[in-house]
Amino acid sequence: MPVVEVSYSRLQKLIGRVSKKQISESLPFLGLDIESEEGDLVRVEYSPNRPDYSTDFGIALGMQGILGVRTGAVKLNIKKSNYSIKVNPAVSKIRPYVTGIVAKHGKIDEKMIKQLMAMQEDLHFGIGRRRKKSSIGIHDLDKISFPLTYTVASRSHSFVPLASESMMSISEILQNTGVGKDYGRLLGNSQSVPIILDSEQNTVSFPPIINAAVTTVTPKTKNLFVEVTGINKQDAEDMLAIVATILQSAGFALYGVRISGSGNSSPKLASRKITVSSDLINKSLGLDLGIPKITASLKKSRLDAAAKGKNIICTIPAYRFDIFGPMDLVEEAALGYGIQNLEPVVSPSQTIGQTNPVSAKLKSLSLVMVGLGYLEGLNSSLTSKRILYDMTNRDPAKTLSVLDSKSQEHTILRDSILPGLVENLSRNIHAQYPQKLFEVGTVFLPDSPIDEKVSFAAISSHQDANFTEIKSILQSALKSAFNLEMETKTMENPLFEGGRSASVVINGRTVGMIGEISSRTIENYKIRVPAAGFEVFLSGLVFE
Amino acid sequence: MERLEETTGLSSDQVRRGVEWLRLKDLASVAESTTHMYSLGKNGLEAFEKGLPERRLIDLLKDGPKKLQDLQKDLGPIFGPAMGLARRNNWIESVDDQITLKASPAELSGEITLKKIGTGKMSKAKLDESDLNSLLKRPDFVVEDAIKSKEVSLSDDAKTIVLSDTAGAIDVEAKVPQVYVARTHPLKDTIDEIREIFVTLGFSEIIGSMVQPSFWNFDALFTPQDHPARELQDTFYLDSISAKKIGTPEQIKKVSASHKQGWRYLWDINEARKMVLRTHTTCVTIKHLAETKPDEARVFSVGRVFRNEKVSYKHLVEFNQIEGVVVGKNATLRDLMGIQKEFYKRMGITKIKFWPTFFPYTEPSLQTMVYNDRLGKWVELFGMGIFRPEVTKPLGINRPVLAWGGGIERIAMLKYGLDDVREFYNNDLNWLRSATKCQ
Repeated sequence: MPVVEVSYSRLQKLIGRVSKKQISESLPFLGLDIESEEGDLVRVEYSPNRPDYSTDFGIALGMQGILGVRTGAVKLNIKKSNYSIKVNPAVSKIRPYVTGIVAKHGKIDEKMIKQLMAMQEDLHFGIGRRRKKSSIGIHDLDKISFPLTYTVASRSHSFVPLASESMMSISEILQNTGVGKDYGRLLGNSQSVPIILDSEQNTVSFPPIINAAVTTVTPKTKNLFVEVTGINKQDAEDMLAIVATILQSAGFALYGVRISGSGNSSPKLASRKITVSSDLINKSLGLDLGIPKITASLKKSRLDAAAKGKNIICTIPAYRFDIFGPMDLVEEAALGYGIQNLEPVVSPSQTIGQTNPVSAKLKSLSLVMVGLGYLEGLNSSLTSKRILYDMTNRDPAKTLSVLDSKSQEHTILRDSILPGLVENLSRNIHAQYPQKLFEVGTVFLPDSPIDEKVSFAAISSHQDANFTEIKSILQSALKSAFNLEMETKTMENPLFEGGRSASVVINGRTVGMIGEISSRTIENYKIRVPAAGFEVFLSGLVFE
Repeated sequence: MERLEETTGLSSDQVRRGVEWLRLKDLASVAESTTHMYSLGKNGLEAFEKGLPERRLIDLLKDGPKKLQDLQKDLGPIFGPAMGLARRNNWIESVDDQITLKASPAELSGEITLKKIGTGKMSKAKLDESDLNSLLKRPDFVVEDAIKSKEVSLSDDAKTIVLSDTAGAIDVEAKVPQVYVARTHPLKDTIDEIREIFVTLGFSEIIGSMVQPSFWNFDALFTPQDHPARELQDTFYLDSISAKKIGTPEQIKKVSASHKQGWRYLWDINEARKMVLRTHTTCVTIKHLAETKPDEARVFSVGRVFRNEKVSYKHLVEFNQIEGVVVGKNATLRDLMGIQKEFYKRMGITKIKFWPTFFPYTEPSLQTMVYNDRLGKWVELFGMGIFRPEVTKPLGINRPVLAWGGGIERIAMLKYGLDDVREFYNNDLNWLRSATKCQ
C-alpha cells in the first residue's frame, strides 16, 4: 500500500474548523491507516484505488466530507481558453493519446512541489502501471509557447532533459539516464518516439520518459501546464481528472486545453450519474436508514445525491473513477454514515458446520504420533535444492521450481517431507536426545500439470536409532490410525544407508520409503548421532 | 570409592550417582588423590624367591672358600653384580681364583622391602624409604604405578542426619530429571482452535489445491492482469507450467468480459493459464461457489498461501490463512462484522474495531483492528467485505457473498507472545518442548 506524509497543521488549514485530534481520529475512517506520527507530521497508508489521497489536498477533501465541514461533490470549474495541442497521426502506433490542462495563479512553494511530485509518482506507479498505461508531465506554463504538437521524433532528436545542463539525444537519454533505462522498454524497438513540441519547435516533453529542463517547475513558477499521455484515452483522462481536482483544491484556476487530431479530443472531465436503490444500501449494510439519511451519508463521501422515489441518483465527479457501480455506492454510503456507527450483529446460523474429513483424519494421525512420543514439526513446502537434494544425495531430475524468488531458501516445491526433517535435526544438535519428529503436509509431483499429495513422515534420532525401531513406529501408527497392515521390501534409496533401506508396501502397492538415514547425509549435516525415518503418501491410501 | 563399592555391594555407577547427589546437597566432599604403588619386577621377583644376588653369594661361601669358576657357574648372570657388591662392602677376599667369606652381614638393604611387597602391591607409605630406594636403583627390581583414587568424606551436617526408619523412604523434595512431552505443533493447535470455532458457528470446511491457475487466484476475483499484485515480484509463478483446463467456457467468457468492461484492456487467456502458488485461500472458496452456486452457505478454508517476499521477522514466503464466506439472500455487512466479533471473542480477544480498507474483489471492504495489551497497540487482523458483483455475476452466483480472511500466524504470534514469525517454522526443539499447550 502506498504511503504519503502530510502535516496536521497544513491539513487543519485546508480542512478548516477542526482540531488535530479530530483529524487523527478520523483518518482511519477514510481508509487511511496511520503508519507513524512525529510531531506535526503523520505518515498515512492509502489504498491504491484512491490516488486522490496521494496529496494533502485530496485528503482534506475527504476529511471535510466525513467531518461534515463541507459535503457534496467537488465541481471542476474549467474556463475556456485558446491553449491547444494538435496530434500527429504518427503517434497512434506508439502512444496514441494526449490530454492536458492549464492551472493558473496558484501558490507554489517547496511543500507544494513536494506534494505534486508525490502525486505524480503515485499516479505513474499505480493507475499508470509504471507509466505504461498513462504518464504525466507537469510544466511551467510560461516557458512554453502554444499551440503544441504531439508528434514523433527520431532517436537522434536532441534537447536538454530535466535535471541536466546539456543537450542529449533521445538515444543518449535512453542509455544514460535512470528513467531512460527504467522506462525505455515501453517504447519497444520503434525508431520514432513520442514527443511534445511547442510552437517554436522546442521540446516540452518526451513521454513517458522525461520532461525538458526548460519547463521545470520551481518555487518561482506561477502557472502550470499538465499533460497526460497514454495508450488508452479514458485512462489518460482519469489521470488528468485527479490532477485537475487536486490543483483546483490547491487554489489554482483551471483552463481547458483543446486537443485535436487522430482520434483525440478535448477532455471533458465530466461527472457521471449512477443510480442506486436505498434497498440495496440498507440490505447490504443491515441498516434501515431513511432516504434523507442515505443522501446525507453519500454527500459526506463527497458525492452528490438526489432522491427519486426509493432510488438515489448519485453524481460522481470524474476523479472518482474507482466507483464502478451501485455496490461501490453502498460503500460510499457506509463511509459517510461512519463505519464506527455500524453495530456488529450475531445472527444464528442456518447451516450446520463440519470439519473436512481429510482434516479430521490428519488430526487423528497427529494424536497417534504424539502418543508414540513424536513431536510435530512444520516446514515450508517451498524449499531449496540444498535441503531437498544436495544434502540428501537425492536426484533433482524433476523439480518444480518457481520464478524469481526473493529468497534462495525458497525456490523449489518439495516432493518429499523427510529431507526437511533431517535438516531440522541439524538445527538441534545441542538439544536433548532422543529427538523424534513427525510432519504431515503436502508434497508436489509433476503431473498434468501438478499432483498434490498428502504425505506423512517421521524421524527418530538418538544413539541407538535404527531400522527396527522406526519400522515399529510406522507399523503401529498405520495400524492405530487407519487399521492398515504394512510390509517392507528391500529397496535402495540414496536417502538411506545401503542394506538399511526399504519400500513401504500396503496391499501390494508401494506407498512410501523407510530406512536408516545414510551416513553421508548425517555427515553432510554434521549430526553426531544416527537417525532413521520414513515417509508414506496418504493420498491414494487414506484419501482420494 | 572402591571401598564403598565393596562394603555397600552397590555398582560403581550407583555409588558414583549417590556420591554426586550427596555433593549437590553439600552433604559430602570428594577429595581426589594420587597413590604410588610398588610391585616387584622380573629381577625383584627372582630375588624374592631365591634371595638377593649378594645374599646368594654369601650363602654359597658360608660352607668354605670356593673357586671363582664354580661360583660363576652356580650364580649365572647375577655373578657379576653379586661379586661387585661383596667386594665393595669387603665381605669377601680373593686369593688367586679362591674366594673366601670375610664377614657375613645379618641383613642386607632391600631385603625388608622385597619381603614386604612379595608378589603383591604396596604403597610408598607402608615401606621404608631408604630400603626401597636401594631396590629402585637396581634394574627391573621394582615397578612403580601412580593410581588415582577418590576419597569421600561426609560433612558435619551429614553426620547428624537421622534417616527415617520407614523402609524405602526417598527424598521426595529432591529435583528430578526433566522429561519432554511429545506434542502437536503450537501453530497447528491454533489452526485447530480456529477451525473448531468456525465449525461451531455453522461453517463447513472445504479444501483445495495450493497450486492454482491464475484464473482462480486472480481473474475470477476481478484482479486485472496488469495489476501489480500479479507481478513476479509479488507472486510465485511456476517455471514453465500452465494449466490446460482452467474453467468452463462460459466462466472464461464471462470473466473475460467483466475484465474488459471494468478495466478496459485485452484479457489474455494465456495469462489466466499460468500456474501460481495461491496468494490467498479465496481462490478455493470462489471456485467452490462457482461450482455449487448455493442459495445459502457457510464455508471456510484454511491452509498455506504464498507471497514472494523477503523473509523477515514480519514476513514469511509461506504462511497459513483462514478464509470464509457466508452466502444468503439476507446476508449483511453487520452480520459479517458480527461473525468476526464472535470469532475474536472466542479467541479471547474482546477489544476490536473495524476500519474501512480496500480489496480488489470486495465492496464494501473492512479490516478488523484488535488491541494487544502486550504490544500496547492496535494490530490489523482479518480483512473482510462483500464480493463485488464483478466477481459473483460472471460466475453465476446471484446471492450476496460475505467474505473474510487473514493470516493465522499473526493470531498465533499474539497467543504465544512471539515477535518473530519465523519461530513457527524453525523447528527449534527447545521452543517446541517448552511452549505452553494451553494458551
